[in-house]
Amino acid sequence: MIKKIRASNLEKIIFTFIVILAIFFFGSFFLIKDKCLFIKSYDPQKINFDNPRNIAILNVTCGNVIIELYPEISPEAVKRFKELVRSKAYDDIAFHRVIKDTLVQAGDLEFGKKENIDYGKIGTGKSGLGTINSEVDSPFNFDKGSVGFARTQKYNTEDSQFFIILRDEPLYETEYTPIGKVIYGLETLGTIKYLDKSQYVLRPDFINSLRMLVN
Amino acid sequence: MSLIRLIILSLFIFTQTQADTIYNLIKIPNLEIYDIKTSNKLRYLYAKQPFTLGVEKNINCYNSKKKILDQKYKIIKKNLNRYSQEFLKKINLKYIVLCEDLSISNINTAGIPDHVMKTLILDIKFNEDYFERVIHHEVFHIINDSFKQLFDEDVWSKFNVKEFEYAECSTCTDKLGLSTYIRTKGFFSEYSQSTASEDMAEVFSHLMIGVNLNNLDPILKRKIQFIKSNLLKIDQNFIL
Repeated sequence: MIKKIRASNLEKIIFTFIVILAIFFFGSFFLIKDKCLFIKSYDPQKINFDNPRNIAILNVTCGNVIIELYPEISPEAVKRFKELVRSKAYDDIAFHRVIKDTLVQAGDLEFGKKENIDYGKIGTGKSGLGTINSEVDSPFNFDKGSVGFARTQKYNTEDSQFFIILRDEPLYETEYTPIGKVIYGLETLGTIKYLDKSQYVLRPDFINSLRMLVN
Repeated sequence: MSLIRLIILSLFIFTQTQADTIYNLIKIPNLEIYDIKTSNKLRYLYAKQPFTLGVEKNINCYNSKKKILDQKYKIIKKNLNRYSQEFLKKINLKYIVLCEDLSISNINTAGIPDHVMKTLILDIKFNEDYFERVIHHEVFHIINDSFKQLFDEDVWSKFNVKEFEYAECSTCTDKLGLSTYIRTKGFFSEYSQSTASEDMAEVFSHLMIGVNLNNLDPILKRKIQFIKSNLLKIDQNFIL
């Protein structure tokens, strides 16, 4: 006759603990790995904008980043940006320079394209449209979410690369040409891949698409 | 390895590199913003720690006590406020770095101008007696570097008497005195006689602090006219 053995209270506690631990382990394995889990995705079609013609939608892995452009502040830069957006030039372009909690930079059309990315030259590529003049004279607060055109050490070398800042950068005023500001979805950019030891990212994240709300 | 050493090592390994916006902009480490809300858009930065610069790491400067920094900042700002935003933009000057005991190759210097990086490093403890004049002197080097074609050294040298020759460089001579001559003979100070560009900077700085222009010799009068006319070519609204 087989004698039924009942688990002691201690054994029950240990068993319960192991089960809970397993749930957390497997749960975190799937949940934490999903970097987009707690990121709110914005649908621009459900938002009313004062000036929809100046709204650009940057789509990345975790959702949409909605940017309002400021042609009245930087007419030439916004014109160039819109031109590149309308030609879909920014699609599949790398966020090649990312500094955690500070900025993301993309827009190297020559060496940052997904299918032929060149890590040796990324950040130095051109659009083929030529450079434009810096527009840095108008007052502009480079606070969190501001979008600007990147340039070389010299002024008047803006082309296609742009950056979005993830913290206030007051020293950028009169240094960089502002294009606009992120009005929804800035937190999405916090999920863009970065490296701890370098501003330049190996195997970077890419822009899925960048479109004007109204073409 | 002791536990403490292991913890310290792990801090270095796991601490992320922080973005240093100022370094990215002007390539000088260890700086913080002192004041950027200025009427002429000059940005004042200060050394929070000593820094070393240059390919050969031969430029050094040290952080100051806040009290000294606050005192000197008032003087520096008062003097630099005389330059308009438009003028500063033309000469390519935007960042003023405040630190002390500035030196190049162990030779103390009042300032290091770099018009390419739009930066002027100022030693806030350099020569108390001529501190204000020295600020303008260093600003002139920025002007000169940005407009080399206007401030032609050959043209300038011809103002001097034939027998006179400048030294090869400002540190190649022992003519370092900054006192203003009571009786001028073509130069405002002993340091004026070191090089043509230092001579121009001395003339400019003396004009900026409002030196008495009476009883100057004809050579110095011609030099003053040269500086004034060229400044007006840069900015018609420039007021000496």
